Amino acid sequence: MCFRMRREKITTLKEAILGRFRHLEAADELWALREVTFEVRPGESVGLIGHNGSGKSTLLKIAAGVLRPTTGKIAVQGRISPMIELAAGFDPDLTGRDNVFLNGALMGYSRREMARKFERIVEFSELGEFIDMPVKNYSSGMYARLGFAIAADVDPEILIIDEVLGVGDERFQVKCRERIDLIRRTGCTIFYVSHSMGAIPELCSRVLVLHHGGLVFDGEPEPGIARYRELQGMPAA
Amino acid sequence: MVGAHRSVNALGNRIAQVYRFRELIALLVGRDLKVRYKRSVLGMFWTLLNPLLQMAVYSLVFSTIMKIGMPGYPVFLLSGLLPWSLISVATTSSAHSLLNNQGLIRKVAVPQAVYPVAVVGSKLIDLLFSLVPLAILAALMGRPPGLSWLSLPLALVFCTLFSAGLSLLFSSLTVFFRDIRHLIDILFQIWFYLTPVLYSHEFLEKLPHRSVRLALGLNPAAPIVRMFQSIVYEGRFPDAATVGAAALATALSLGLGSYVFLRFEDRHIHYF
Repeated sequence: MCFRMRREKITTLKEAILGRFRHLEAADELWALREVTFEVRPGESVGLIGHNGSGKSTLLKIAAGVLRPTTGKIAVQGRISPMIELAAGFDPDLTGRDNVFLNGALMGYSRREMARKFERIVEFSELGEFIDMPVKNYSSGMYARLGFAIAADVDPEILIIDEVLGVGDERFQVKCRERIDLIRRTGCTIFYVSHSMGAIPELCSRVLVLHHGGLVFDGEPEPGIARYRELQGMPAA
Repeated sequence: MVGAHRSVNALGNRIAQVYRFRELIALLVGRDLKVRYKRSVLGMFWTLLNPLLQMAVYSLVFSTIMKIGMPGYPVFLLSGLLPWSLISVATTSSAHSLLNNQGLIRKVAVPQAVYPVAVVGSKLIDLLFSLVPLAILAALMGRPPGLSWLSLPLALVFCTLFSAGLSLLFSSLTVFFRDIRHLIDILFQIWFYLTPVLYSHEFLEKLPHRSVRLALGLNPAAPIVRMFQSIVYEGRFPDAATVGAAALATALSLGLGSYVFLRFEDRHIHYF
């Protein structure tokens, strides 16, 4: 996946014409991911770890279909429930209730189907009557709780989680982990990115380690974590 | 040949995908209507009032002050203003639809066409509501809705799809060049006067210079507006030539808009 980092950010036609469209040439290339190849079977839970900037979020966005790879192919079968950039899926002016239906529609659910899930989602998020408040007034914890409640409840076939469990109090984090575990046991495929090495062996049966955009390890969680620590320059404890 | 076949296939795929997300489009339209309705008391009223006020002012100027002498001029005006409003307002409003929804686009893979299409849908609802005052005005001025109004749905379809094509085109271009919005505004202003909304198309046909006549005759918005004028003002079904021209204009607009949109869709996210 190649990102073109344009040296000058041209956003208007006027600038483009005045600069005689020279901005189209001046760009540095950033290969966020290179030659990453792997296959995930249904029901697997895969952990994705790597240093900051190693390409984890980029890989998830490609998996979610949000980014198209510059070279190479991706094939995904199944309904994806992405939890990337959690707050981005919300419209701040709408209430929590409206956002539940919006997110449901984004994932292809009808209003009726979402209405059936609505009570469960509100209950899990523990938002109570705040569900009818505009989301812009939510605290970040409330955002996370609602976001997770929606993503976890839509019967995904593939669940993608990006470092989201860091928000919310300990009790909620435990609830999240239990829910993810439940989802895993129903045969859902999970793609989990985290910096917290504690959760990975619990939830994942397989680990991919990314390093500067390359895939350097694909296998069992324990040796994977060791490799990651090694690359970080940390003791293998 | 193979390339063309693949493109048509891809287009068919995309249309099917957008259809799959029709619930989302309905929800986005509802969201837009709700927001506009909540913001101001006059909200909905203003949307209906706008073309009516325009009609009133133009009537005053051209009928009363300049006395161009067309009977029932207000009806003629309004019947042309309504489809024109859909075309111009839908296009200018949807220009920023992709930028405004970049959060959602970044989060979930949904065919991006739903965002401009939702805006067009919302403006179409406005147009449908405006048909009521149009019918009332027409009745009051001695041209009550008759059999010809049965062909309104077809005219509406052409008008909507034509607007959708332009919306797709400009919403994509606006992602790359934010100031295109200003260009669009100027374009529509000029276009308005070149389209027979304020005056009858007969004036264009009487122009002396053949090249000017031809050039203005190529105006894609003209046959669409003509259809509405035939139905409402003249009280007859639009003739085959006009319908054919409108269909062609619609096809060209949709074709160009879809082509550009699909070609650049994957790059939008890099330019937000």
